[in-house]
Amino acid sequence: MSKLITWLRQRASLQAWLLLLPSALWLFIFFIAPLFIVLVYSFLERGTYGGVVWHFTLENYRRVFDPLYLKTFWRSFYIAVLTTVFTLVLGYPLAYYIATRPQRQRGTWVLGLMIPFWTNFLVRTYAWLTLLRTHTGLINLTLMHLGWIHKPLPLFGNDTAIIIGLVYGWLPDMVLPIYATLERLDRSLLEAAMDLYASGPKVFARVIWPLSLPGVVAGSMLVFIPSLGAFVTPAILGGGKALMIGNIISNQFLAAHDWPFGSALSFVMMAVMLVATLVYFRVTSDEERRQL
Amino acid sequence: MSETYAVELKNVVKQFGEVVAVNGISLRIRDGEFFSLLGPSGCGKTTTLRLIAGFEMPTSGSVRIYGEEQGYLPPYQRPVNTVFQNYALFPHMTVAQNVAFGLEMRKVPKDEIKRRVAEALALVRLTGKENRRPKQLSGGQKQRVALARALVNRPKVLLLDEPLGALDLKLRKAMQSELKALQEQVGITFIYVTHDQEEALVMSDRIAVMNEGNVLQVGTPEEIYEHPQSRFVADFIGKTNFISGKVAVISGDRVDFRLPDGTMVAATLPEGAQVSAGDMATLSIRPEKIFVTPEGEQPLVGDAEALSQVSGRLVKIFYVGVERRYIVALADDTEVEVRVQNLDRRSRRCQPGDRVTLHWRRAHARLLKE
Amino acid sequence: MSEQALSRALSRRSQLARLKKQVSDLLFHAYGFWGYLFLYFPIIILVVFSFNDSRSTAQWAGFTTHWYADMLKDHQIILSLWNSLFVAIVSTTVSVIIGTLAALAMERYRFWGKLMMDAVLYLPIIIPDIAMAIMLLIFFDISGIGFEPWKVNFFGAHLAVPYSVIIGHVAFNISFVAVVVRARLAQMDQVLEEAAQDLYADPWRTFWRVTFPMLLPGILGGALLAFTLSMDDFVITFFTSGAGFNTLPVRVFGMIKKGVTPKINAVSTLMLLFSLMLVAISLILSRGGEKGDSSGNPMF
Repeated sequence: MSKLITWLRQRASLQAWLLLLPSALWLFIFFIAPLFIVLVYSFLERGTYGGVVWHFTLENYRRVFDPLYLKTFWRSFYIAVLTTVFTLVLGYPLAYYIATRPQRQRGTWVLGLMIPFWTNFLVRTYAWLTLLRTHTGLINLTLMHLGWIHKPLPLFGNDTAIIIGLVYGWLPDMVLPIYATLERLDRSLLEAAMDLYASGPKVFARVIWPLSLPGVVAGSMLVFIPSLGAFVTPAILGGGKALMIGNIISNQFLAAHDWPFGSALSFVMMAVMLVATLVYFRVTSDEERRQL
Repeated sequence: MSETYAVELKNVVKQFGEVVAVNGISLRIRDGEFFSLLGPSGCGKTTTLRLIAGFEMPTSGSVRIYGEEQGYLPPYQRPVNTVFQNYALFPHMTVAQNVAFGLEMRKVPKDEIKRRVAEALALVRLTGKENRRPKQLSGGQKQRVALARALVNRPKVLLLDEPLGALDLKLRKAMQSELKALQEQVGITFIYVTHDQEEALVMSDRIAVMNEGNVLQVGTPEEIYEHPQSRFVADFIGKTNFISGKVAVISGDRVDFRLPDGTMVAATLPEGAQVSAGDMATLSIRPEKIFVTPEGEQPLVGDAEALSQVSGRLVKIFYVGVERRYIVALADDTEVEVRVQNLDRRSRRCQPGDRVTLHWRRAHARLLKE
Repeated sequence: MSEQALSRALSRRSQLARLKKQVSDLLFHAYGFWGYLFLYFPIIILVVFSFNDSRSTAQWAGFTTHWYADMLKDHQIILSLWNSLFVAIVSTTVSVIIGTLAALAMERYRFWGKLMMDAVLYLPIIIPDIAMAIMLLIFFDISGIGFEPWKVNFFGAHLAVPYSVIIGHVAFNISFVAVVVRARLAQMDQVLEEAAQDLYADPWRTFWRVTFPMLLPGILGGALLAFTLSMDDFVITFFTSGAGFNTLPVRVFGMIKKGVTPKINAVSTLMLLFSLMLVAISLILSRGGEKGDSSGNPMF
């Protein structure tokens, strides 16, 4: 036994792989292998009764660029970008607000973010459904009751509803990393800037904003990627009319039984995300990512 | 029969990839000695200590502890204990649990553990703090827990890695004498790593000065200070002046040395130095070993006639309480610092800008080869 | 300018600056207030209308706990709750064990293939659930593993949980556990492990006496995250369960699709309470961790 230990001691690589073995096996079998299968599927033809025919084709990818689907892709992209921008605009001041609270209070404020963050996404989306619905939603009913509007506002079953739902759903994901960078910011840097004649806005533009950029970039990634791949939000708030790429993909599996095409759609979606991730790794250093 | 050393390193080399951290050093540390490894950061002193502790394995060479080759023995099979730089106390254990840890690991009977932990804590004057957590202790107390945790195992050798580095100056001074007294009390060999030359001088029986992975000189504090064998050692330990010139005549350990302006001065040749007449060389003279007088006068010492004399111009005087520091420029603009206790009246008449004469004894001017 | 006039001008300038500061502080506080209101308003409304004595989820018609009683009588909901708990407990247990081992390897060793494993561990986190869901669906379908249920008596409830669901949950949870535990390991000073070895503890005992106790807050934090993600997951469960298997979120989604009723509000409130409980546990954990030594929040 002790000989075995001594032998192992001198082989760090082997030890590491022994520790990794269960998770590596699990992930290679149940994640990497499925990923490759989907890749292969995306080049196959669909069978007449669902299933696939083992015949190589690029048709699925051509169809992705069909105006019909390209439009949905473009809409999803546009919704994801808008969601990211809105969460940033709303979230940055919020993160800044938390970071400037007295040290003792900050924990409580962060906790205030964690509670919605830990609440089931489906529940949070459903909450908005009861607020946004056109004729029976709280917002329209209240506004009409107050006599401010006479006809319900189009708040449901469109991109607006989806963006509201997504912004709400992912806001904490934007705030937390920004807060993490702001909180770490050395106060003496701000004092130094003010000492060197920078006024409030200039301190922000020249010191705070550049130093919080890693958090902004990380937060944007955390919001953009799941927004682009959103499925639950459009399924609930899109009212069956406004769809995103996630819904089109799921339809290929649940309704249309066109698995190869669904696979191709997924791959194109993942390719967009991969590009975003690569950009993220390009613009940030290892150090910066570790701090989050 | 050869003597058994507490720790004996033979041609130990440690490489990390391309970087050579320890470059073939050999050391013999005697039983019961307080031995310091002294050098600037990155000189390999900590790596040397870790090689003895077993945290690193040498790339080549041998490490023996009381005659036994350590080879690839892991740390937990070596008869040494370490006091870590930032104490490395286990935060999830109490003081008593920390101290008992090593004994538990060696399966010492429970009641003996209890007794020895109490003894060890008494030794470091922490009785009554058994149930504190490391977080609740001051820096000095943590330091003492770390000591107790190591000493309780009665190691053959105690390794200390800059154990006082994290303490403030005053506490450090107090701990220095406490540590030294403790070492004398327990009689265990201490190997002490530090970058603080004063600390090393005050505490050690012997010091090894290290730089860039090499041991440059081993000796008692006095030997190291008074007889540095290299420019690095002279410069690193205390303050010294370097004056360059040329070797004129060598006779025995006496060297006649010519300064650039032609002045001849006398110096001492260190043992074993390979220098011949005509070589370029450097003199090292400690600032407190030089007398300064107004030009042409003699210092008030018995052997004034025998001193070497060099003239220069007084540039600046710094008053630092216990002494005055005179900066004197020689003919070639080499600046020489002289430290004079605030007792000497003669030097006090000199003002910046005055011509002055520097005097020193031959024994204090040591020749170092370039 | 006379000295008086100068000092008056200066004091006016400083007053103006003070006013500006007060106004901006006020605006800032107002923003903070509205920000948090935005976060909590929908949730509060959701909870309020779960007590509404009407089928409407927007017009108040008096207080009732009728919908909760209705919910408790609904066997489908109760069964789906048991399913959720079972899947979460099993997948958390498995993923915590193997995820922690992976974290140890990734944080404590330099080895061949590390960069690749880094990517493999990172991918399930960034890949959108819908992509992972369909990947697993195809995989289970063509690999022959299928959607066979694991028939189990779970505290008296007879469950039939497809293995595929549990496998899928473990697959995404490993990565999250590994990330949380790695963060904790990175904070941990390795010198403590050296100290243990110096005090005669072999690697095995070093792990159990030093590494593990100090890692525990991280492991529990990872477990909590995995448990929450598992309880909350809808998309992957939905696609990997085959027909007729419901976890609570899947059940709720089905109910929402059929129409909005206060009963859904009641179930949602229940889920909300559950999340609150988990947040509370995680808070207690992070406090405990801080007492032991300076640890971060296990939620990150």
